[in-house]
Amino acid sequence: MRSLLLQIAAVTSINLKSMPQRLWLSLSTIVAVALVVIVLLSFLAMANGFQRTLAGSGSPDIAMVLRGGSQAEINSTVSRDQVRLIEDGPGIARGPDGKPLVSSELYLVVDGIKRSSQTKANLPLRGIGEQGAALRQGIKLAAGRMFNRGANEIVVGKGLAREFEGFDLGQTVTFGSSRWTVVGMFEAGGSVFESEIWADLPVVQSLFNRPNFFQTVRARLDNPASLAALKSYVDNDPRLKLDVKSEAAYFADQASQTSDLIQKLGWPLAIAMAFGALAGALNTMYSSVAARAVEIATLRAIGFGGFPAFVGTLVESLVLAAIGGAIGAIATYLVFDGFSASTLGGNFTQVVFDFKLSPALVVQGVLLALIVGLIGGLFPALRAARMPIVAGLYA
Amino acid sequence: MNDFVLVRKNLFRKKLRAILMIVSILVAFLIFGMLAGFYRAFTAGEDRAAADRLVVVNKINFTQPLPIAYFNRVRGVEGVRQVAHLNWFGGYYQDPKNFLIALAVQPETYLEVYGNDIDMSAEERQAFIRERTGALVGETMARKWGFKVGDRIPVNSNIFSQRNGSRTWDMTIVGILKAKRPEIDTNFMVFQYAYFDETRSFGKDTIGWMVLQTTSPDLNDRVAKAIDQMFANSSAETSTDTEKAFNKAFAAQLGNIALIVTLVVGAAFVTILMIVGNTMALTIRERTREIGVLKTLGFSGPRILTLVLGESVLLALLGGLPGLVLAAIAAFALRTSMQNFLPGFAVTPEIVALGVALMILLGVVTGIIPALNAMRLKIAAALGRG
Repeated sequence: MRSLLLQIAAVTSINLKSMPQRLWLSLSTIVAVALVVIVLLSFLAMANGFQRTLAGSGSPDIAMVLRGGSQAEINSTVSRDQVRLIEDGPGIARGPDGKPLVSSELYLVVDGIKRSSQTKANLPLRGIGEQGAALRQGIKLAAGRMFNRGANEIVVGKGLAREFEGFDLGQTVTFGSSRWTVVGMFEAGGSVFESEIWADLPVVQSLFNRPNFFQTVRARLDNPASLAALKSYVDNDPRLKLDVKSEAAYFADQASQTSDLIQKLGWPLAIAMAFGALAGALNTMYSSVAARAVEIATLRAIGFGGFPAFVGTLVESLVLAAIGGAIGAIATYLVFDGFSASTLGGNFTQVVFDFKLSPALVVQGVLLALIVGLIGGLFPALRAARMPIVAGLYA
Repeated sequence: MNDFVLVRKNLFRKKLRAILMIVSILVAFLIFGMLAGFYRAFTAGEDRAAADRLVVVNKINFTQPLPIAYFNRVRGVEGVRQVAHLNWFGGYYQDPKNFLIALAVQPETYLEVYGNDIDMSAEERQAFIRERTGALVGETMARKWGFKVGDRIPVNSNIFSQRNGSRTWDMTIVGILKAKRPEIDTNFMVFQYAYFDETRSFGKDTIGWMVLQTTSPDLNDRVAKAIDQMFANSSAETSTDTEKAFNKAFAAQLGNIALIVTLVVGAAFVTILMIVGNTMALTIRERTREIGVLKTLGFSGPRILTLVLGESVLLALLGGLPGLVLAAIAAFALRTSMQNFLPGFAVTPEIVALGVALMILLGVVTGIIPALNAMRLKIAAALGRG
């Protein structure tokens, strides 16, 4: 047993030490595997970043009320009477002054110019009620102040200000014929709200000619379990043909579609490329075995077994793949992690998000690399183990 | 034995190695074909656009409505041949997942402005103009849902509701629209604006946007400026652009797809370039002595160069062509499932031509250094080596 281990160690170290002799072939395998891993991880980091942005937006103790069947805020309409009925609903938390913690909101799409492409893009302008900001977790003013009630003032999310032009503090923004001043910039823990513009609801209603028009109602619940009570209250009132769901559930629905799509694109591409890299790895390892035919045969002639030859070749292949996988993961981390991008979300407006590489994703990338290395080394290793000594010596 | 036989025999001397290289090239061109098809479908909006068509939308954003009164005022602008107005309906069939692209239009003007894109029989045309609840359904959509002329279908809206509270509009299919140009996708339906406007509970007397034809593309700029100036400082200012620019900006909203496609295809190509280039260099080095023999037999340097280059180009073609064929088959198979999301996903002749050019380029790039080395090889050195 001990001698077998020693043999394996000896052959493996010969394999690894001779790698520089096949420098270009070995390098090409490493680069091929690294590129596969980069492609896979950049797609997964994109899907993951988008998912995190949306999933981080919703809170389980906020109820969202939308018109039945409208699916997205942009399609929803809620009347003034319905807003009042919701405010009187059960399970809704109240402030110290006894008023329900509810924000009825208007969600409009306005044009902005995307910095990277210099093209028009849909941005969400949200008219929020008095409680609007307080109903979102972790809202923090990064600069400036909150808009004053009744004024043509807006505050913008940090992500939006970064990706789109003209939203710096103090700047005047024109939407159609109405003019607004940017008075503040807020952070929202990287959530989707950072891609929004907020203003006072009555001002938005009047300047966009939508008096008494609401789209969604957000309400803070006593506790997440109260959602069921509010839901049955709404279902039992014929005047309220509305859908009630938790904000967390609403955003989870929206997140799944886009990030699914990105993943469905990323995996097949990476697997297709892995086949290409596999062909390269096989080629490299067969060449390695061929180049060392005399050496392997000599070792066998002086009493080494076939198994150490097998392990040596397999380890060489795995090492090449692991180096490639590690380079790929590091390169993706350096180039793409934190990379800011934006795309159209479920509300037909831009959602700004950052690519986010997680340890679980890195593991997936390195695993794919090792699978390439394993298969790429297996067949050449078998050949090395089975090579007849005489044929090898005369090669 | 001609040179081609020599090239072929050389290539397959080590079968396994040749097959592995062919597979890696095949994969690269499969990726290329699919992504190029994807990209083409993505930018198809620009090809669909007619040079003489302008789009008038609310300056705030194209989802904001315009007053219906604008329609007649735009009609009167000099250089405008015809105007159509359209309204997005947010339609679905039975279940919200069964999303339908449905637009409320005024029949005569719509059919005139889009006359070069879509086709139907004269009776169908008349029926659409006459029938208040009539709808024209595109061929693709009709096939997908099994709609036939004469069917009465309930179309739901996730935006609008009727004054009686219902969110379902009943429509009678009076005709099937066919595409006049291959770029036109017919996965959509149109129905009468009058029916829609009279029954909806809010937004009455507004329209989504307008599409107009100018009398000549040369007038596009002037007409666009005239329209936007006409509505400047009103409660609903407009933004007028060519259809092409509008479609392009819309596609760009999804993200920088061109960059992603280029990076992935680039990565795939760098990979095979490294693998194939290295292996070609290796195989030629192994055959140094043989090349010396060929030279002794009187093969000229340029002929050796052609032989080696021929080998690498043949290799690229053997891998690349099946790769493109596979991409075309895959694109065809995915066509129906991608219909809503990305109509027109296909591997076109232009993509094939570009692919073949890339294959030849790949063959030359991977073969050129080994080929030059082989050409310059001195006989004595070659025979002395290995």
